[in-house]
Amino acid sequence: MIEVRNVTKYYGAERVLDDVSVTVREGTQTGLIGPGGAGKTLLIKIMSGLVPPDEGQVFVDGVEITGMNAIELAKVREKMGMLFQNYALFDFMTVEDNIAFPLRQEGKLDEDVIKQKVADILESVDLPGIQHQYPRELSGGMKKRVTFARAVIHDPPILFYDDPTAGLDPVTSSKIFILLEKRKVESGATSVVITHDILGVRDIIDEFVMIEKGQVLFRGSRAEIEATDQQRVRQFWLGEAD
Amino acid sequence: MRRILGMIGTAFMGAAHEVGGMLILTGQVLRYLVPPRLDPMETWRNLYKVGVKSFPIVVVTALLVGAIMVIQTGQMVAEFDAFGLLGWGAGFATLREVGPVMIGLMFSGRVGANNTAELGTMKVTEQVDALRALAINPITYLIVPRFVAIVSMMFLLTVIGNLTALLGGAATAQALLGVNPQLFYASIAEYLELADLMNGLVKAWFFGVAIAVVSCYFGMSTTGGAVGVGRSVNNSVVASAVSIFVIDYLLTWIMK
Amino acid sequence: MTEASARPRFGTRLLAAIGEPIVLPGREVVAIARVLWLTIYYAFADRIRWREVLRQCYEIGNRSVFFISVVLGFLGMILIYQSGFQAQRIVGDLQLLGALYVQMLFREFAPTITALMLATRVGTGIAAEIGSMVVTEQVDALRMSNAEPVQYLVVPRFIATVLMTVVLSCVSLVVAYFAGMFAGAAFFDINPRTFFNPTLLIWGDLYIFLMKSFAYGIAIPVIAAEAGLSAFGGSEGVGWATTKSVVNASLAITFLDFLLSGVGYVFFFS
Repeated sequence: MIEVRNVTKYYGAERVLDDVSVTVREGTQTGLIGPGGAGKTLLIKIMSGLVPPDEGQVFVDGVEITGMNAIELAKVREKMGMLFQNYALFDFMTVEDNIAFPLRQEGKLDEDVIKQKVADILESVDLPGIQHQYPRELSGGMKKRVTFARAVIHDPPILFYDDPTAGLDPVTSSKIFILLEKRKVESGATSVVITHDILGVRDIIDEFVMIEKGQVLFRGSRAEIEATDQQRVRQFWLGEAD
Repeated sequence: MRRILGMIGTAFMGAAHEVGGMLILTGQVLRYLVPPRLDPMETWRNLYKVGVKSFPIVVVTALLVGAIMVIQTGQMVAEFDAFGLLGWGAGFATLREVGPVMIGLMFSGRVGANNTAELGTMKVTEQVDALRALAINPITYLIVPRFVAIVSMMFLLTVIGNLTALLGGAATAQALLGVNPQLFYASIAEYLELADLMNGLVKAWFFGVAIAVVSCYFGMSTTGGAVGVGRSVNNSVVASAVSIFVIDYLLTWIMK
Repeated sequence: MTEASARPRFGTRLLAAIGEPIVLPGREVVAIARVLWLTIYYAFADRIRWREVLRQCYEIGNRSVFFISVVLGFLGMILIYQSGFQAQRIVGDLQLLGALYVQMLFREFAPTITALMLATRVGTGIAAEIGSMVVTEQVDALRMSNAEPVQYLVVPRFIATVLMTVVLSCVSLVVAYFAGMFAGAAFFDINPRTFFNPTLLIWGDLYIFLMKSFAYGIAIPVIAAEAGLSAFGGSEGVGWATTKSVVNASLAITFLDFLLSGVGYVFFFS
């Protein structure tokens, strides 16, 4: 479970996150939606401890992570996986080394076990046999799936997906959302999904949080969003321009 | 054996490609310089940026270089108890060689790298194409103003730098070696000729041209996103440094 | 915290203008010192990835050796050329040219010019690599998998650069020396045997040479790493990071040169 309490983050004099409080319950998939530049990526970086908030606190499974040092945060992050918006694949490593990286850093498993796990996960994302290729040789959709593999390979109970379907065609997007749903169902992971693809994500999200200009505008299930009378939220949900 | 030849051949072809590209760019710049057809606002902006922003660095470098030359020459001069030659020794080395080269290297770093980075970013984010689409000639708008700014500022800053270096040298001579400034300057005045100063300034001018051509060329031929920009800047500063030394050698030989 | 405000008063702007040249470089120095401290800490605290260090040594050493040799070869010839003419004009006797030349190489030119060239080639390379990794979020991805960026990226490059700077300075020394010897023979008819004159060398010259190469070798990768790690904003950020690294490194080298030359003078000479 992740709890964010009254978090504010400044960029100069401007508040990019303004008194934000969000709770992500265990085993649920929360969708973070909102216009570009609203602060969504920043929020998940604060939730994962990559960026410290200027005000407020963050709790992961009941333990406060704000103010932890790098070593303590490292322990917390063993439970987390992140899919980055721009893939963030290590371009000096092969696909296999990229995906195996979290496991090798943990150092708990044997090398052959690791190689097998990588092969298995590549199968499951429909990319068999590309272990020895480099990220620059892959298409956008393939890179997204490799990033997914790297994020989930060590079976983390907490997952962050930053725009997992950006720039992908509709078919590939569906495949990615199916992967996300499978992971939630099979491992009971808690996850936060940032996305602009409202249609694609409607069926797999338990709770939506809409953020605009650093503030939380709405919090609720799909049914609640569709029934809301907040003009701005309806507009965004239906994709209507003024 | 064939592989080695292949490698040498590739390296040579690569270098030839770069040099050719730079010559073409220089030709284009010259075409727009005579008669002068450049964007005045951009030229002024670049003069300011290049000149004002490099001024502190050049001054600091010059002071330090002057001091270092005095320290090094001082050791030799003290061995032979020839303190009267200190101003000459440190002075000629600074004006003819070390001054222009060090300032050139510093300039290539501060201005050349920055220039390549800016142009490179504009190229990979397609801003250069956007200019063309708006019927603005990238050469007159981007390149020529930077060219003019870099060459003129390099020259002016070397003049200032030389002076500052001598000041730095004099101060160090007094502080470390107990040679008073009068003796220092007398030594300079007696043994150094105008030719020594002009020699250095001509070099500085050519260094400026080299830095301008190299940095603009690598900037405009950048490909490959953020990584490409980094690579271009890297190649640009390396090529500038090599050019400075090669030109230095050629000019030294020609101008004796 | 104030709202987006009107232009600050003149007094404030004046103070800011005076303070800026001091505060900004001051902050830079602090940031660089922090990276230096972290690098040394991780170098000793964690196991070193020697294979990566070796790979970096190859990258740095092999790929710079040609460039360095060319530059220092030309430099050697220029130095002899210039000093020869001046010496002929003022002193009239070229006997000691070789002896003084080799001293200057040890004390000044070999380590310093090598370092300046490495700052351009290697420093910008490190800054560009790390910088582009920062802006493409690869560094964040490292931290998510519990790889501390300084330990993973910087330490191997640091060790490799320190080693290679000393090694390449030695190479430069040899190349420049022989280039000078050649120039002496070709332009002034100095017999190589006369040129070869180590009688003026003292142990202090060697110590200064080693101190300088070592100090420069530490400065270059740390400054480049700090520049890379502070990059932000896409390709523009990478460009700025590489520029910053070469400027800061050149300044640092010049300053260290001044400092160590002075120290050398005081300790080994007077």
